[in-house]
Amino acid sequence: MATDKTQHLQQVLETHRMAHIEKLLDKYKEKRQEVKEALEENYKDKIYNPINSGSYAKHTAINIKFDLDIVVPFKRNSFDTLEEMFNDVFDFLYEKYKDVAEVRKQKVSIGIIFDADDNGDEINIDVVAGRELNQDQYTEDHNLNLFVNSQYGLLDEKTYIQTNIQAQIDHIKGKNNERSIIRLLKIWKTTNNESYKSFFLELITIKAFDKESISGNLWDKLKSVMEYIKENITKDNFTLKDPGNTNNDVADTLEDWEKTNLSNKMSNMISNIENNSDNIKTYFPINEEFEEEDENKGQYGLKDASIVAPSIPNKSQQFG
Amino acid sequence: MGFHNIEEINNIVSTIPFIDVLEKFKQVGIFLEGKTSVNLEGLNESLNFDVQIFPQYPLKSNDSEAIKFINKDLISYNHVMGDGSICIHTLHSPKLKQKLLADFESLKAWIEKYYINKNIDSHYEHVIINEQPFDDIYYSYQFTDVDYSFSKGEFGQVDLTPLSNGIYKKKPISNFLIKSFQPLKKTIKINSKWSEYYMNFEVKNIGLFLFLEDVPAFHNRFAFSNWLELENYIPTDFLQFLYDFQKRNKKHKNTFLPIFFGYKTVENEIHWISTLVKINEIPTIGIPVIDSKGVKLKGQWESKLINRKINWAITRNSSYKYLFGRGTFCDKITNARILIIGVGAIGSMVAKTLVKCGAKNISIVDYDVKEPENVCRSEYNFSNGLYDKTFELIKTLQENSPFVNVNFHNNNEYFESFIKAFHKDKEAKKEYEKSLNQFDIVFNCSTDSDLMFVLDQLKLSTDLINLSITNHAKDLVCAFYPNIYNYVQNQFINILDNDVDDLYNPTGCWSPTFKASYNDISLLTQYALKEINRKYEENKPKDNFTLSINSGNNTNIKFTQY
Repeated sequence: MATDKTQHLQQVLETHRMAHIEKLLDKYKEKRQEVKEALEENYKDKIYNPINSGSYAKHTAINIKFDLDIVVPFKRNSFDTLEEMFNDVFDFLYEKYKDVAEVRKQKVSIGIIFDADDNGDEINIDVVAGRELNQDQYTEDHNLNLFVNSQYGLLDEKTYIQTNIQAQIDHIKGKNNERSIIRLLKIWKTTNNESYKSFFLELITIKAFDKESISGNLWDKLKSVMEYIKENITKDNFTLKDPGNTNNDVADTLEDWEKTNLSNKMSNMISNIENNSDNIKTYFPINEEFEEEDENKGQYGLKDASIVAPSIPNKSQQFG
Repeated sequence: MGFHNIEEINNIVSTIPFIDVLEKFKQVGIFLEGKTSVNLEGLNESLNFDVQIFPQYPLKSNDSEAIKFINKDLISYNHVMGDGSICIHTLHSPKLKQKLLADFESLKAWIEKYYINKNIDSHYEHVIINEQPFDDIYYSYQFTDVDYSFSKGEFGQVDLTPLSNGIYKKKPISNFLIKSFQPLKKTIKINSKWSEYYMNFEVKNIGLFLFLEDVPAFHNRFAFSNWLELENYIPTDFLQFLYDFQKRNKKHKNTFLPIFFGYKTVENEIHWISTLVKINEIPTIGIPVIDSKGVKLKGQWESKLINRKINWAITRNSSYKYLFGRGTFCDKITNARILIIGVGAIGSMVAKTLVKCGAKNISIVDYDVKEPENVCRSEYNFSNGLYDKTFELIKTLQENSPFVNVNFHNNNEYFESFIKAFHKDKEAKKEYEKSLNQFDIVFNCSTDSDLMFVLDQLKLSTDLINLSITNHAKDLVCAFYPNIYNYVQNQFINILDNDVDDLYNPTGCWSPTFKASYNDISLLTQYALKEINRKYEENKPKDNFTLSINSGNNTNIKFTQY
């Protein structure tokens, strides 16, 4: 039976809403507040007010995989070097949480993964330490330099990047159509174990809406964005400017072969879904945990009535 | 009755511009025989050839041309056989004129390439050996690589293990493998690099070896045919060794003793050829030692070779390079440690194909037994009767390649039930992950959705590949970890037409199975394996795909990449 693609996608978005995991989210927020306060207490007037960032702040979060991010803006004179700042924040967090969490250095942030609680919930908080470029400049434009932990970077030398978290958050403000598509692509990425970065998918979706006239129902919009990616990602002059720093080209984070693979993938997805609408369920699955049950069927939780027979293999039976 | 129109042949040959007819073709027995002379630019003087045409001409016979160009003076040149005939292979043509012209053109091409320009082929041409039976029985010896560098003149004992007896060129044959070499003056045993299975075979016979280093052949191509020709190749201490051996084994005087001679070919590769001699007929004679003044030294004798024909037995280089020289999967697959979970129709075909394509390390796991009715669409044999699937398959795989080590994995029959019971336990889960991650590739051919679900939950660094088909082998689904469970479920439930009504009911309680023949299943399995090999070879992304048989007017297979 054919699937109504837009109806399905709406259900996908609905079942992946953060609202379904309010209790868990509260735990996250609590932990984030705790970390924030610890940082404020430790660094006092060396820092400006830490801010929330990441997908939750941008309203692009999905409930199957997320973390909460804190950006800690350091004043220019707090540390001599960015590396010292990065290591100091790591040492502080490590000492504070080593018994209750795994604290690790990541590419530009420090990850804290708190041990699972009694309900089996693991909480991830990412801390991004940045330093203003010049004395008192942060309050004016929010530009920060981040330390790049070299083992993750392409460069051998330890280096830094300039960014502007606030500009990144502002970049997506009010863009509700874009947000839906970004969330769908993040659901695709997460459920199909694709390695593309969320920030990359976010920027390319916004650019697609910017460059093309994207309209119609949810599937039409998603398809247009996928077609935009398919057509443009492999072009030589294609760039994705980081709104936090226009000198950063986020498209550069993909190798040429990765761009080709992504283009092919988009092409396969579109044609497979168009050929058989049920394929949409492979690429964009519903989060069954929060799927509303159809109470009219009277199957007390058994979804597929056709499997009720004494011993007949159902359609999911593999052979060979 | 003649087989050919002699006049027509003579007319055609007389029109070839670079040919002078010295003697026209005439019937001699069943052959046509004539003499021709070839004149070409670059030749100082013309080359004469006896030409012999067989009754089958212009058709080939037993893959050989039914025409021979013979000149015994050319024997030292490339691609000339022992009887002086030039080895040519030309186009197929049933038309006499076209074939004759092509064959003479081919002769001309040989003269230009090998006689005038003295070209050397890029590939190695092995020595031509006239293989003979001994007392009407053929003996064959297969050898492979060893991790040892023989030195010139090194000799000792060879351990042989019997393979099987059969029929070869209508005569009985005894086949052997060379298992190891034991140089006389050393305490080491040099093992052949066969798989564990073959290395565990018992040594039933022995032979002797001598590493000559140089090729015991005329023109590097025609193996010597008389023992005297080996005089400058065989050191006297080996002759003494032969004599001592003969003395020690007098009671086996009528037993054949294989003697292997080794030499280097290309890239330091070693080739062994073998002759058999009866122990009481070792081709040496004792002669008195003479001092510098020509006086016999009393009581001192030395062995000399005698004038006797050498009969060569059969040897084959069956090293990995030669055994799989005609085609394999890519190195990333053949060198991989591979596990196959479930060895039913698909699993047994995957296993056998991997082995035939050069895989060296395979483990298998399955709890099931083979019933006679499994035989028709899997790689199991009727002759074995009822058998545990894994036990029979291991045997089959080992019989197919002497370079694959095949093992059971993880308690074999308990793997599936244990992993399902214990996968939620943190420690057990880690252990399963560890045991699966020791493989480079894991094929799950179990078609067990529960097991597929469990495996998809594990944190794996191995490449897990799930293969299954729909009823009637209409479609094949190939999924790669970590995108297996949801993808396969959606394919079977929503996308593919999996007809679960028309099933086959064998004997037994509620055990319907799918309908499909060996041909149906192997067609899709081979296609899938080809695509999987391509993904590894070309470093393509391991994305899921399906194959669907489209039976319209013709049989088509639709490939869908996800």
